[in-house]
Formats: sequence, structure tokens, C-alpha cells
Amino acid sequence: MLPVSRFSYHIYRLGMQENIERSGPSRDNPSFRTFLSMISSYRIRAGMAAWLLHRLTGLSLVFYLVIHIMGLRSLGDPAAFELYITTFRNPLFKIAEVMLLGAIAFHAFNGVRILIQDIFFRSERQRILFYAVLALSSIVTLAGGLLIIFPYFIAPFLP
Amino acid sequence: MSSEHGLQRIYSSRSGQLGWLMRRITGVGLLFFVGLHFWIQHMPNGFLATAEEYNEIIKGFEKITPEFADAIAKGKIREALPGEHVITYDKVLERLHTPLWKTVDITLLLFALLHGMLGMANVLGDYIQNASLRKVAVIFCWAVILFLATQGIVTVMTVGTN
Ligand code: HEM
Repeated sequence: MLPVSRFSYHIYRLGMQENIERSGPSRDNPSFRTFLSMISSYRIRAGMAAWLLHRLTGLSLVFYLVIHIMGLRSLGDPAAFELYITTFRNPLFKIAEVMLLGAIAFHAFNGVRILIQDIFFRSERQRILFYAVLALSSIVTLAGGLLIIFPYFIAPFLP
Repeated sequence: MSSEHGLQRIYSSRSGQLGWLMRRITGVGLLFFVGLHFWIQHMPNGFLATAEEYNEIIKGFEKITPEFADAIAKGKIREALPGEHVITYDKVLERLHTPLWKTVDITLLLFALLHGMLGMANVLGDYIQNASLRKVAVIFCWAVILFLATQGIVTVMTVGTN
């Protein structure tokens, strides 16, 4: 079925390109088995790692989003809300919070990389851009992570 | 299945195109909204209570209800550590009092749900062979979007009204 306008045709082409590039063989014969065999048979290249990490972080964020929205129903009752918040102030959850930041940062920067590549079609720059994504998300996660864990894991050990 | 069949399916998927475009648009929007959200809720700043403020607040709570007093006695509501910034009911209420913040939060909610669950539908579509099962997966994702959007909007709109 062909799209009508020039604009949507362009978008449509980009979409196909993306699907073919990103999903490879699993698009032709999609199943969990082909997915696993694809991962194990490919030499892990930058593009492959980027795609896999983008998918894993995206799915983790959806998982967190569901818990988050349902947890915030406790805002109906002040006492319930403070209980909910205190649970997430546990030191283990503070580490999980840093991991959440890491997932968001990687997914966001890599999302921007995908958008840039779709618009400019410079796939030979993929590797460089991917390293930029890794560097930027590491910096953001490290900086934000330090602020998050400071009162729990750093301040107590300062003189 | 030959690779031509696989391609055929991509070419002929109209809803796939729409979902793809929506994921892109919401993705760009989320860059702003998730960035802002993480900044105000997870980083130390005025939208959270300082340790001193928080410890003062829970002292007040203790007097208000036996429920609070009990939770504090059992350590289920814990005092803030020095330098810690804590999300607390009062601060959330104060922020959500303004229509602009209500709008921002609901936009974030809808963008994240649409982006995440349409992404999920796409992922499921990659691994489900059966065409009607794929439809079921898409319908399931939309049902989750509707359900969670309702939950979230009710939370934002009714906070502080009881
Ligand atoms: C912070 C800003 C974000 C940006 C810039 C962004 C960008 C993107 C982009 C460009 C895609 C690829 C879309 C496609 O080709 O189909 C994508 C996929 C996805 N995103 Fe995001 N996203 C962001 C936040 C989120 C959040 C908060 C969630 C979770 C609720 C999420 C969940 C997903 C999922 C599940 C996918 C599908 C993964 C896949 O098809 O492999 N994203 N994102």
C-alpha cells in the first residue's frame, strides 16, 4: 500500500530502512529463537550493540513506568505516599535509581543518534556517533549518580 | 518464509507507519519532559524537601494521625540523612497546585505511555509469528495505555482534594 504525500513517503522509506537495518533476520522469520541465534552468530558490532541496548533499556523503562504510575496512586493519601517514598529511600533502591538514570541517559542519547542518522543518512559515522552516545551517557550517569548516592554512600565516610 | 515475504509485511503495514511516526515525535518530546522530570524529582533542588525541612515535616505528621506516628515509630517513614533531599507529599501538592504543572505532568505521562507501549508493541511484533496474535499484542498494548493513562490522570487531577 503506497502512502499518498511526498512527506509521508519519505517518512515511510526511513521507517523501512530503520526496520531492515535494526531488526535484520528477525524481521523475516521473527521468533525468540531467531533472535537468540542472531545475537550469538553476529560479531557484536557497534550498531548491533546500540540496537540491543536501546531495546533493553526501552523495555526496562516501560517496566519501571508501570510500577511508577501505579505506585503514585498513593498520592491519594499522605501517609501512604510517605511510606511509598521511604521504601525507595532504601540504599539498594538508591543504586537502582542510578541504574534508572543510566538507562534513561543511554536511551535518550541513543534515540537522538537514531534520529540524526535517519535524517542525514551518514551510516558510516555510526560507530563514532555510538561512542559519543556512550561517552555522554556515562558522564550524565556519573554526575547525576554521585548526587544521588552522596548522602548515603559518600557523606558518612567524609571526616 | 522467504525474505521477500518479510519485506512485504513491512511495506504493507500502515498502522506500523503511524506507530513509528508517533514513537519518533513522542521520543523528541520525552527528551524535554523526561529530562525536566528527572531534574526536579531526583536531583537536589527546591522541588524536594531538604533534610531539615523533611525532619520538621514528619514531626508535624506524627502529631496529626496515629497512622503516621505508628509508621514513624516502626521506621517505615524514616528521617532524612544529612544533606539528603526527599520527595514529600507537601512539596508535590504545592507544585501540582498550578495548572501548568498539572499539564506538564499529564503530557509527560501520555508521551511516555504512548512511546513506551507502542515501542513494546513493535518489539512484540518482532518476535510473534502469528498475524492474529500480533494484533492481540497491539490491542493489549493499547489497553495498557488507556488503563495507565486513566490511573495517572486521576492521580494528578485529584491530588490534595480529599
Ligand atoms: C528520553 C527521551 C527518549 C528518546 C529521545 C527516545 C527515543 C526513542 C527512539 C528514537 C526509538 C526508536 C523508535 C523506533 O525506531 O521505532 C525508541 C524506542 C523505544 N523507546 Fe524510547 N525514547 C525516550 C524515552 C523513552 C522512555 C521514557 C521509554 C519508556 C517508557 C521508552 C521506551 C522505548 C521502547 C520500549 C522503544 C522500542 C524499542 C525497540 O523497538 O527496540 N523510551 N525510543
